[in-house]
Amino acid sequence: MPPRRGADRPTSTREKPQAGGQPSTDDPRIILDRQIGADLFEPIPPYPPRTEREGEFYTLADGEMFLNVGPHHPATHGVLRLVVKLSGEQIVDVDPVLGYLHRGVEKICENSDYYHVIDQVDPLEYISSLFQEWAAVLSFEKLMDVTVPRRAEYIRVLSGELLRIASHTLYMGFLALDLGGLTPILYGFIERDEIVEMLAALTGARMLFNYFRIGGVNGDLNHEFMSRLGDWMSRAARQTEASAGLLNENEIFVRRTRGVGILDRATALRFGVTGGNLRAAGVPFDVRRAHPYSVYPELDFNVPTRTEGDSLARYLIRVDEVRESIKIIDQCLHNMPDGPVMARLPRLLRPHPGRAWGACEGPRGMMGVYSISDGSDGPFRFRIHDPSFINMETVPTLLPGNLLADTMAIVASLDPVMGGIDK
Amino acid sequence: MDRTLETRLEARLADHLRGPVYQRHDETEIRIEAGSVPEVLRILHDAVDLRFEILADLAGVDTGEVMQVVYHLWSPLTSDWLRIIADGLSRDDPRVPSATFLWIGAEWLEREAYDMFGIVFEGNRDLRRIFMPPDYTSFPLRKDFLLPDDAARSPGAGVRHVERACAPAALADDPTAGVRRAPAS
Repeated sequence: MPPRRGADRPTSTREKPQAGGQPSTDDPRIILDRQIGADLFEPIPPYPPRTEREGEFYTLADGEMFLNVGPHHPATHGVLRLVVKLSGEQIVDVDPVLGYLHRGVEKICENSDYYHVIDQVDPLEYISSLFQEWAAVLSFEKLMDVTVPRRAEYIRVLSGELLRIASHTLYMGFLALDLGGLTPILYGFIERDEIVEMLAALTGARMLFNYFRIGGVNGDLNHEFMSRLGDWMSRAARQTEASAGLLNENEIFVRRTRGVGILDRATALRFGVTGGNLRAAGVPFDVRRAHPYSVYPELDFNVPTRTEGDSLARYLIRVDEVRESIKIIDQCLHNMPDGPVMARLPRLLRPHPGRAWGACEGPRGMMGVYSISDGSDGPFRFRIHDPSFINMETVPTLLPGNLLADTMAIVASLDPVMGGIDK
Repeated sequence: MDRTLETRLEARLADHLRGPVYQRHDETEIRIEAGSVPEVLRILHDAVDLRFEILADLAGVDTGEVMQVVYHLWSPLTSDWLRIIADGLSRDDPRVPSATFLWIGAEWLEREAYDMFGIVFEGNRDLRRIFMPPDYTSFPLRKDFLLPDDAARSPGAGVRHVERACAPAALADDPTAGVRRAPAS
């Protein structure tokens, strides 16, 4: 009788020797062991636990199992790995693993000069990069005592609110996509494309704008931007209602998001969550009103809040914010003053030694920058505070008790952007 | 600038302040010892005339001589951001009590400061690296961690000390070593 094929292959360490001395070659694990190493698929790290919490998390109780969601899962909005501890289909605990996109932007900025920093911070929150630039220039302008011309402030608000709408429409689409609905994302991208094409006419780029400058903006409003904007404004409100109606009246969407992932007021404050996620929990904290910057005190808009704090409330807050942003854009167009768009500044910026914190309200919450000057031409310390980082931190609190299928309904409703989280 | 905040802070925190309250633009800054972080944060959060309820940011800072932990807080009762600098942490063994007893959200911010600066937050239940891999040994945002190249060199006059320190040794000895010369004909 000829020997069985593959009998001379090394046996897996995980395979117990069988009675006949011959391991079963039908077992796919043997092939995997030999080819790429079985530990690739083990969520348990190959080193002893570094903290009590890590040790507790990576110990399985009876009937529990681990599941890796990511790092290349399409619904994790970037390169995020969630190690999920499951009991049946119910989530027991979650350990998010970050750092797959870490580029060390803070270190790069500390080795750049003040002008370079603005385009280094662009790819952090790549969906709404103007806001990260805004936080940086707010901080630098305080450091240097620069007064920004009013026209430049209005242009900043105008472009910022446009981008907020683009970001929110994309959020609504992706939330629906993660729940299995394909249509809203198509409409969301149509609307976002109109806005980014408009901003491309203004700034020269579709995503990474590099548009704000210390003391103003790079370039005045131009004809193409204004004609595109006028065209879009004539139908913006109607279009928003139409795409919101697509989801608001969808029973499957509402049922899958209502009462799921409830972040209550006290917990949200203890986490330091900001933005729409905090307002959905009933705290009317919006940096544009709570700590006004730019020309927001002159503008008339509301800060929508809700009290439920669930995924649906977080979604509905975004819909309301789009309506408010359209109102702000309308006011900007009516009140746009004349004048220069840049303050007069030297080519080489050397602020006096000092410290400054600048914060603005991005689509996901408060964008902050803390910069320290040592009198040289670049920041000595450049600290970036990203709201998505804190939003992601609430995931281990929100997920347990829910079903695995709700992971996406909750994580997507928090609106994380991994580029910002990982810096 | 909120002048009344200065008097309120001085009244409440007189024992803990290290140096005067400093105010500029819309920021108020106080300096405290690392050891008094829990008491100060507790007072700022709970006192009825302060009510700093949102932890806006927690950052590590390496000044080259000492380490600092910088907190930014927001309160509905003032128009200023409050910055608290826990100053004077030794660079060899920086230790500071954790703020997680008050703001659970500080947990990841402290993990990040630990990852980047090696600052140990006593009382944080999950103080491990967050961005860098677990077998990584350096602390990248410290000022003695030099970038491996000078690609980020400033075009302004002069090279800043970080880059100067990581220039090739030959350049440091002979300042003309890196200067391009016309080939001898």
